[in-house]
Amino acid sequence: MRDPDIRIMLRVRDDDPAAFAELVELFNHRLITVLHHLLGNADEAEDLAQEVFLRVYRVRKKYRPRAKFSTWLFTIANNLALNTLRSRQRKPVVPLNVRDSGPLGPRPAEQLVKDRLNQPVQHMQQQELAGIVRKALDELNERQRVAVVLNKFEDMNYAEIAEVMGLTTKGVKSLLSRARENLRVALKDYIYMDGAPQE
Amino acid sequence: MANLSDEDRENLVAYFDGELDEESARTLEARLNLDPQTRAEADALQATWNLLDYLPRSDPSPSFTHRTLEKLALQTGPHAHAGSSRWLKLLGWAAAILVAAGLGFAAARWLWQPRTPADLDEQMVRHLRVIDKVHQYEQVDDLDFLRGLDQPDLFGEEPGS
Repeated sequence: MRDPDIRIMLRVRDDDPAAFAELVELFNHRLITVLHHLLGNADEAEDLAQEVFLRVYRVRKKYRPRAKFSTWLFTIANNLALNTLRSRQRKPVVPLNVRDSGPLGPRPAEQLVKDRLNQPVQHMQQQELAGIVRKALDELNERQRVAVVLNKFEDMNYAEIAEVMGLTTKGVKSLLSRARENLRVALKDYIYMDGAPQE
Repeated sequence: MANLSDEDRENLVAYFDGELDEESARTLEARLNLDPQTRAEADALQATWNLLDYLPRSDPSPSFTHRTLEKLALQTGPHAHAGSSRWLKLLGWAAAILVAAGLGFAAARWLWQPRTPADLDEQMVRHLRVIDKVHQYEQVDDLDFLRGLDQPDLFGEEPGS
């Protein structure tokens, strides 16, 4: 058994009380990062990560070490994240962002924000750029977003992503290609802002 | 920047991800060397991918592990099932009350079922003989008097005549 995480999980399965704490400590950072990028909200990501760990504990007796432990963990995380995203779609959260307001249209300050988002700004703050990238990621469909986040932040290969998402590797290849093209279109005005070549 | 077909783009992305087989990778590398448009598209895709690094990394709150273990203890500890067993008791009582009410209702319906005209007719047919002679029965005080009238010697007749 090469994967040391599997050994920890097997100890959790066998009711070793210290093993579960070890598992949480080992994976909480990675899990919260992925969930944060999927949900777009840090507090929600932390709550859901907690739920994922509790779910792992509840189903520990059913655990069979077939693949990498992280693949199994992120399969549970993906299912719970998709449930959260879908229930959020049923109960849409009204954002507090500035938008067109009232019968007179957008206020001048709102119009300025809009203009800044529509034009490339050479010295944009990192935080603002992060917001724009966040928005582009949110505009991907759920499956594309999951594939991108697992590929980029968990460094998962296509076979692992396919297992987490219940797809074929060919399906993942196509999904990631479309996702990256969508991101390219959404972020085309910002891609060389950090000094990279502009042809 | 749309000179790539969907399949070309899939292969390009797979190449970046190290998922393309050796032969396809060599073919793609040759194309990248020869075709500036393909190279520009490849650069744009890679630059976009790098922009994702601007997304903030999340650090779990320092108490995350502790809170998770605490929540687990609450869910699996000895008092975890107290709430559910109280609900089970309540459900049991509710079920018993419902069954008792149902039985009571059925018994009441059986005992006090309304009489239909058909039921009344049947009752009159059953007592027709009595109804038919009721005016005669009204003339006598009791059964002993009737039995007395039935004595043959009362009217001077000889038995056997």
